[in-house]
Amino acid sequence: MPPEPVRLTVRSLILRVRAKPFDETLRAGEIVGLAGLEGHGQEEFLEVLAGLSRPRAGRVLAGTGGVAYVGPRQAVRHGIAYLPRDRRSTGIFPTLSVVDNFAIATPGADRRFGLISPAARRARFARYREQLSVVASSDAATITALSGGNQQKVLLARVLALQPLVLLLNDPTRGVDIRTRHALYGVFTALAADGMTLVVLSSEIEEIVRLSHRVLVFREGSVQERFDRAVLRPDRVVAAMFGKVAAEAGAGRPPCA
Amino acid sequence: MRLIGRETLVALLLLAVLLAVNLALNRAAFRPAAWGTLIGLAAPLLCASVASMPSILGGRGGIDVSIGPMMGFINAVIVKTLVVGAGVTSPFAIVPAALLLGAGFGMVNGALATIVQVQPIIATLGTYLVLAGATLALLPAPLGGAPAWLKSLAGSWSALPLLLLALAWGAFTRLPLHDHLMATGSDDRAAYSAGVPVTAARFASYVLGGIAAGVAALMLTALIGSADPTIGPTYTLLAISAAALGGVSLAGGRGGLLAALVGGADIFLLQNALTYFNVSTFVLQIAYGLILVGSICINALPGALPKRQAA
Repeated sequence: MPPEPVRLTVRSLILRVRAKPFDETLRAGEIVGLAGLEGHGQEEFLEVLAGLSRPRAGRVLAGTGGVAYVGPRQAVRHGIAYLPRDRRSTGIFPTLSVVDNFAIATPGADRRFGLISPAARRARFARYREQLSVVASSDAATITALSGGNQQKVLLARVLALQPLVLLLNDPTRGVDIRTRHALYGVFTALAADGMTLVVLSSEIEEIVRLSHRVLVFREGSVQERFDRAVLRPDRVVAAMFGKVAAEAGAGRPPCA
Repeated sequence: MRLIGRETLVALLLLAVLLAVNLALNRAAFRPAAWGTLIGLAAPLLCASVASMPSILGGRGGIDVSIGPMMGFINAVIVKTLVVGAGVTSPFAIVPAALLLGAGFGMVNGALATIVQVQPIIATLGTYLVLAGATLALLPAPLGGAPAWLKSLAGSWSALPLLLLALAWGAFTRLPLHDHLMATGSDDRAAYSAGVPVTAARFASYVLGGIAAGVAALMLTALIGSADPTIGPTYTLLAISAAALGGVSLAGGRGGLLAALVGGADIFLLQNALTYFNVSTFVLQIAYGLILVGSICINALPGALPKRQAA
């Protein structure tokens, strides 16, 4: 079986001063987990991939052809979509309705004869509402009337509407109830099975271990350790987060036991 | 999309009350045959209110205080330069000229506020002073001579420009740019992360305001039938008060054409009712201020309590 096509290539990336450069290749259909203690570079890495911030050095290239991009709008044009972490401050538009919150990244998709058709917009949202089972009293309700989990689903619908090749998720289940959380895991796995690349940053080790095909553990602004599915265990991830490399069975090798 | 937000309800209620008061005071001025004149009287303020609304929608202190002097300057250019100076009277020259001038000043305001990133109130205060001065330099004293077709826009045809403005706004709300502007006003950081062109949306809001100021200038010229260098600047504060009264949130992201029009109509009817009693303009200003602060407080009441609990 030939390897899956490359979606993102990272070349000698340096996230902050005195951090080690690292390379990475993200392929279609894989779920890559980002772990690390808060503030060790995993969030910077995700924002660099999203085009929201620039690295100190190195390059991020989109697609098999390897095209450089700058800014979130160019990232989106290359099929890279980002779901922000803090829903309240950088995700939802509190004054807008559910359906307008959904459509804001793709407002032109509902045009009929040049003008946006509210009916077409509702119909487009209905597909995602079903796929993600969003519970809302009405599409016209303001988004703040929804529960945290449902707000998050609307935001996920917003980025899915971009039909991305790479989906960057910054702590996607933060403040989401347990049932919705499991529903989201199912959605993420299905998206990856359809060929989407998912990069999931999570503050919960269990979530990372459960979802990811492989995990990058960040420490001091660089990738400290890489784990493949076969050797992925919560205790190993935690050990790597605290910088205990040699003590444990290393990445890529089969477990010692 | 809702046509009228909760914020506009108070203004709408006030509109009903003021309409009843006006009807009781002076039924003759409100008979159907006089509607043209009545709308013509209200039109400059209504359009000015609409003109000050888009930049407010963009949020983060977006405001255009130069709307009034912009109207005054365009009014002076129409009469002094075009009609009297160049002898141009065709609507096909005057209307585009007014709209283009408005759009041009809007671009200057937009460039200062979004690209140079001067605080919008300071940037537009600058254009306010420049335009107010330029108007007086161009036209030291009032000058008559608006063409007849333009004067008819203050009479029997007064509803037409307002209808066209409403249609144009209706089309605008169906463009991605409108969604971008509302999202920017609602939360600009979230908008940026979602890939919304935040700067372009804000820039465009000033241009739209300028174009509406061009319409307001035409309606002003129609109403006074002449050019007057001092009347324009008086519209700025009234227009912003009207928009705020109608429920265009100064925090951004809330409001629209109907909110601006309802607020403008409120101010106009209040003015109308009070002048019936020969109240001095000073008392009139006090009344505007009280109504504005009062209605915004009423709007804030129901939202303030639950929000504090949720936080």
